[in-house]
Amino acid sequence: MTDLLHQARLSRGQFLRVMGGLAAATLATACSTRPETTATTGGAAATELKFIGVADQKTPMDELAAAYQKAKPTVRLTTSYAPTDQVQTSLRTQLGAGNAPDLHVVYPGNGSAMSMTQIAQAGLLADLSAQSWTQTIPTGFKPAFQLDGKTYLYSAGSSVIGAVYNKKVFERAGIDAPPTTWTEFLAVCDKLKKAGVVPIALGAQTPWVTQLITYALVPSTVYAKDPAFDDKQLAGQATFAGSGWRQAMEMYLELQKRGYFNDKPNGTTFEQQTSMVATGKAGMAVQVSAVLPDFRKAAASPDDLSMFPVPGADDANSVWIPAGVVVGLGAGAKGKNAEEAKAFIDFLGRQENINAWAKAIAAIPLTQDASSSIDPAVQSFLPFTKDRAVPFMDQRWPNAEVQPVHFAVVQELLGGDSTIDEALKKMDEAYRK
Amino acid sequence: MRRTFPLELVMIAVAVAFLFPVYTLVSLALKDPGQIASSPMALPSPPTLDNFADAWTAAALGPSLVNSTVITVVSLVALIALGSFASYFLARVQSRLGYGLYILFLLGIVLPFQLGMIPLYRLVTDLGLIGTHAGMILFYTGIQLPFTVFLYTGFIRALPGDYAAAAQIDGASHLVAFTRVVFPLLRPITGTVLILNAVFIWNDFFTPLVYLGGSGFETVPVSVFAYVGQYVSQHGLVFAGLVLGALPIVVVFLALQRYVIKGFSSGLKG
Amino acid sequence: MTSLTAFRSRPARAARRRGSAVTPPWLFAAPALVVYAIVVLYPAVSGVVYAFTDWSGIGADGSFVGLANFATLFGDEQAMGSIGNTLLLTLAIVVVQNGIGLLLALGVNVKLRSRALLRVIFFAPVVVSPVMVAFLWKYIYNPDPSAGLNGLLGLHVDWLGDPSVALWSIAGMVVWQNAGYSMVIFLAGLEGVPRELHEAAMIDGAGTWQRFRYVTWPLLAPALTINLMLSTIGGLKLFDQVFAATNGGPGYATETLSTVLYKQAFVFGKYGYSTAIALVLALFVAAVSLVQIYYTRRREVTA
Repeated sequence: MTDLLHQARLSRGQFLRVMGGLAAATLATACSTRPETTATTGGAAATELKFIGVADQKTPMDELAAAYQKAKPTVRLTTSYAPTDQVQTSLRTQLGAGNAPDLHVVYPGNGSAMSMTQIAQAGLLADLSAQSWTQTIPTGFKPAFQLDGKTYLYSAGSSVIGAVYNKKVFERAGIDAPPTTWTEFLAVCDKLKKAGVVPIALGAQTPWVTQLITYALVPSTVYAKDPAFDDKQLAGQATFAGSGWRQAMEMYLELQKRGYFNDKPNGTTFEQQTSMVATGKAGMAVQVSAVLPDFRKAAASPDDLSMFPVPGADDANSVWIPAGVVVGLGAGAKGKNAEEAKAFIDFLGRQENINAWAKAIAAIPLTQDASSSIDPAVQSFLPFTKDRAVPFMDQRWPNAEVQPVHFAVVQELLGGDSTIDEALKKMDEAYRK
Repeated sequence: MRRTFPLELVMIAVAVAFLFPVYTLVSLALKDPGQIASSPMALPSPPTLDNFADAWTAAALGPSLVNSTVITVVSLVALIALGSFASYFLARVQSRLGYGLYILFLLGIVLPFQLGMIPLYRLVTDLGLIGTHAGMILFYTGIQLPFTVFLYTGFIRALPGDYAAAAQIDGASHLVAFTRVVFPLLRPITGTVLILNAVFIWNDFFTPLVYLGGSGFETVPVSVFAYVGQYVSQHGLVFAGLVLGALPIVVVFLALQRYVIKGFSSGLKG
Repeated sequence: MTSLTAFRSRPARAARRRGSAVTPPWLFAAPALVVYAIVVLYPAVSGVVYAFTDWSGIGADGSFVGLANFATLFGDEQAMGSIGNTLLLTLAIVVVQNGIGLLLALGVNVKLRSRALLRVIFFAPVVVSPVMVAFLWKYIYNPDPSAGLNGLLGLHVDWLGDPSVALWSIAGMVVWQNAGYSMVIFLAGLEGVPRELHEAAMIDGAGTWQRFRYVTWPLLAPALTINLMLSTIGGLKLFDQVFAATNGGPGYATETLSTVLYKQAFVFGKYGYSTAIALVLALFVAAVSLVQIYYTRRREVTA
C-alpha cells in the first residue's frame, strides 16, 4: 500500500499536462452537455416551467408532471427537490432577488416564511381564483388557501395528526382496539410498557417533531371548548398561557413522567423514531399522516402500520382532531410563464389529479368523487373531519416566530430545563411580535 | 524491532479510532434494513449492494457527476490562473496601495456569506447566468479568491526574488518570467490550492441548490440530498447515497494524496 | 527543475540588486480584482445597506430604520446568548483541533513504517462535505446504548439531546473532520526544523520534552499562526454542521451567531435585522483575527 502511495507522485510536467487535459476536456463537455431546452413538437417551441419543491412532494409531482407532459407536449417541467430547510433558504433568496421559479412549494395559511399569506402579501403569488377547482374548497379550509378572498395556493387535500401504531406490537401486548379516551390512551401505554416495548417513540431532536403531541391534544383541550379560539387570540382576547394549551402541555409532560417515551427523546431523531415504530421496538409515534409512507418503507410489511386519533379528552364525544391542509404549491405572480404555470395548476385541480396526489401521500383528497380512495390507515379520522377537526395551529399564527419558539420550549420542557409557565410565556411573547 | 515500535502501535490505534465513523457509514450502506435494526454495529453479513444500486439510479448521479466535474475543474483553472497572477503582484509590490489591495482580498475571508447573498443572486440573474455552469464558475472563482490569494502570496513572499530577476536580466517580459520561471516554482502551493478549493467547490451544497435548482444542471451534493431527503428513515439507502456522493472526491484525493500532502507541507511554510 | 539550475549558477548578488526593481505591473492583479469585486465586494456592500432597513427579505424594499436593528440586537436575549455559544464552540475547536493536530503531526513525523498511510487516514475526513459529516455523526450520536458511539464505548450519553453536552458533541464532530487539516500544516512546520538542531540538543543531554519545548516549538510558530487563524475563523463562522446536526437545539443550547442570523433572514422573515447580525459577526471575526495575528506574529519575532 505504501509503495503504491509513493508511486502516485506526479512530476511537474505530468501535473501540468493533467491540468491542461482536464481543462480542455471540461470545456469540451461544458459546451456539449446543455440539456435540450427547446424540444419542438409540431413546430411549436416548448415552454419550460421550473418547479422547486420539498422532498415529500417528489413522488406525486413527478407522476403528475409526466402526465401533464403527455397531455400537453409543448410544456416541459423541470423539477428540483431538497429537504425543507434548504428549500426555504433557496426560495427566499430567489424571491428576495425578484427571480421566483414559475412554480414553487407554498405552505398553507400563515405562520411560516414560506406560507401562502406571507408570500401573497408581498405580491409574489399569482391569483388562482378564476380556476374552477377553487370553487369547491371546503369552507373550513379557506383560510389555508385564501387571503382576502383570493386563492393563492394549490393543495391536494388534508392530512391528520394522530398516533401511527404498529398493529403487531399492539396485538402482542394484548390490545384489541385503539383507545378512544385519554384514560384509555394511558392504559394502552401502560400495557405496552409492561409488554417491554417503548409505548410512544418521540424523535424530539428533529425540531418539527416536537410540536406534534401538543398539536394532537390542543384540538380537544382548546378548540372543542372554544372553536373561535384563533380569532380571539388574533384579537388579543386569548393567550396560550390562559387557555387549554396549558392542559395540553401538562398532558405531554405526564406522558414523559410516566415513562411512556423512549429514553432521551431530545437526542432521538425523526429517522430513529420512524424505525423504532416500523421495526416494533416501539408501539406508536404521534405523527402527521403525510409521513406514513416513510414508516411503511421502513417496515417489514407496510400493512403492520395504521393510525388512530389521539384522544385528548375523557369524553369520547369531546375529542377533536387536528386536520391540516398539506403542503402545496403556487405560481409566481411575475414570471414570463405565469399563464402556463397557472394552466398546470388548473390541471392539478382536476379531480383525478387531486386523487392521485392525495393517494401518494396518504392524504384525504380536498374534494372527493367515486374514484377517490382514502388510505385505510386514516379511515378512523373521517368521522371527525366534518365538524370536530381544526387546522394545524401554526397556519393561523400571525408570524413565523411562534412555531420555532414552540419547538424550542418543548425541547426545554422535555429536558427539564423549563416550566410550563415559562414556555407558554415565551410563546405568547413571540405571538405578539 | 525498532525503538519506534510502541509509537507505531499507538498511532495505528488512533487511526483505527479515526476510522470508526467511516466504518459505520460504509457498513450501514452494505446492510439491508433487517440487519441495521438487529445489529447496527456488526459487520454486514452478508453484505448487499442493493442500496448502492438503488441510490445510483434514483439519485440520477450520472449527469450530476458531469456537472460537478465541469464546474469544479473550470473553477480551479480560473482560480489558479487569476490567483497566482494576482498574488505574484501582491507579494512583490512595495506601495501602500498594493498592501491595501492585499488586505482588501483578505477581507473576503472574514465576511459571512449571508451578507451579500441576495444582491449577488440579483446580479447573477441580471447577467443571465442563473442555472448555468458559467454562473457557478464565476461564483466559485470570486468566493475562493481571497483564500487562494492568501496561500499564494504567503508562499511567493518566502521565495527568493532572484529567479524572476534573473530571467528579466535575460530580457524576458514579466509575463514570460512569471509563466516560465515563477509559476513552476509554485507547484507545491498550487497543489494545496488545488485540493482545498476542489474540496470546497465539490462539496458545496447550498449555492448550487439556489443557483442550479430545477435547471437540469444539478451538482452531486444537490442530487444526493434530494435523494436522501426522501429516504429519511432508511439508513442503508441514505448512507449508500452519501458514500456515492463522497466517492469521487475521495478517489481523486487517494490518487493524488502523496502530491497533496507533500504540496501542503512545502506549500504552507510562507 | 533542470531549467532552473542555469539561473542558480548566476551570481546571486547581481540578481538581488535588481530584485527590488522587478515589481510586476498592476495588470497582473486586475482580472482577479474584477472577479472578486463582482462576486464578493459589490454584493457585500449593497447587502450592508439592508442592515439599516426593516426589509422582510421578499417583496418591496423595507423602509430606513437607522440603527434600530443594532439596538434590537443588544436587547435580543437569544442573539446575545448565541455569542457565548459561538465563543465556547470556537475555543473548544481551536484548542482541541490544534492540540490533536499537533500530536498527530509529531507522531507521523517520526519515521514510522505506516506513516504515509497514517497521514492519508488522518487527512481523509477533510475532503468529505461537512453536511455529509453532520448526517453521519447524527447517526453516530444516537442515544441508543446499543448503536453508534454509545455502542462502541459502552456509554449511555445523550450526545445531541442533552443541552450541556450538545455543543461539545458538535465540536467533536468538527474536530474529527479537521484535525487532519491542522496536522498537515504542523507537518509543514516540522519539516522546517533542521535535524542538526535536534542532534545538537541531544548531545547537550536534552530529553524529548526539552527538545520539543526549546527546539521544535519555537520553530512551529508560523504553522501555529496559520492554524490558529484558520480554525478561529472557521469556528466563529461555523454554520453547516450546527444547522444540520441540531439546528440550534435542544432549546437554544447550540444556537450560534450564524444560526441566529440564518433564522432571522430565512425563517422569521427579518432580512434587515439578520444583515445587522451578519455585520456584527464580520466585525467580530475581523477583530479576533487581527488580535490573534498581532500576538502570534509578535511571538514569531521574539521566539
